Amino acid sequence: MVHTLSNPEQWLDLYGDILYRFGLARVNKVEIAEDLLQETLLAALKAKDNYSGKSTEQTWLVGILKHKIIDYFRKSTRDNVQEFDENIIDEDDVYFNEQGHWKVNSSSWSKPDKSIEQEQFISILQQCISRLPKRMAQLFMLSEFDNMTSEQVCEVMSISTMNNFWVMQSRVRVQLRHCLEVNWKNQ
Amino acid sequence: MLTCKQVSYLASKKLDKKLTLIEQLSFSLHIMMCKLCREYARDISALHQFVSKASRAGKMILPDSAKLSGQSRERIKQVLDKTIVSKE
Repeated sequence: MVHTLSNPEQWLDLYGDILYRFGLARVNKVEIAEDLLQETLLAALKAKDNYSGKSTEQTWLVGILKHKIIDYFRKSTRDNVQEFDENIIDEDDVYFNEQGHWKVNSSSWSKPDKSIEQEQFISILQQCISRLPKRMAQLFMLSEFDNMTSEQVCEVMSISTMNNFWVMQSRVRVQLRHCLEVNWKNQ
Repeated sequence: MLTCKQVSYLASKKLDKKLTLIEQLSFSLHIMMCKLCREYARDISALHQFVSKASRAGKMILPDSAKLSGQSRERIKQVLDKTIVSKE
């Protein structure tokens, strides 16, 4: 099936919120998500003659936005990032004691089955992600939601070693699991 | 014998990368005996699967309530309109 583009003047109305949300979920800053949206629409305007029609208009626009987000990460990576990561990694552990045993006596939760449950679950997951330190939330979004490989995430986010990546990823999961356990009621 | 903290690290790494034989063996041994880690590994694996399924289905992670503000929308619209006009 070949798709066609609508009038560019309608793009903002049709996709403005979707693209904005997509960006916001990754960069966690309103002003930057707005800038990315604007840059995406401007880039799309320039590239519209090259649109092949293989994907839908929305998928095409999201694809452009993804590139803009990666550019943003590359540019915004500063010198202190590695020090910041070391701090995350060395930080006192809330979840394990000095012997490395679980401090929190957790219990398992059930997976959401029905679609209503899934919507609720996604909304709780979103709240849990937004409580993570910004850089850890970015790491989770890029590796889990955007299906980037661990090598790509390290490159884009300037994470110095693979081991640091695994440690940060593991910390993200411990925190998310705890947050979900507290907030997601077993049905 | 690995600690629970080390096992939580392996349980997470395991979702992205195949563990080495030694890692896999010590992981399995611990999991067999430790209920908390067993449940932890199961939960993060379920979360991982849920997220990749949701992402493949094109689900957006932000609730629908997050919207572009009217003011910013207007500002972006003006920039776009200007560019559209100058192209024509």
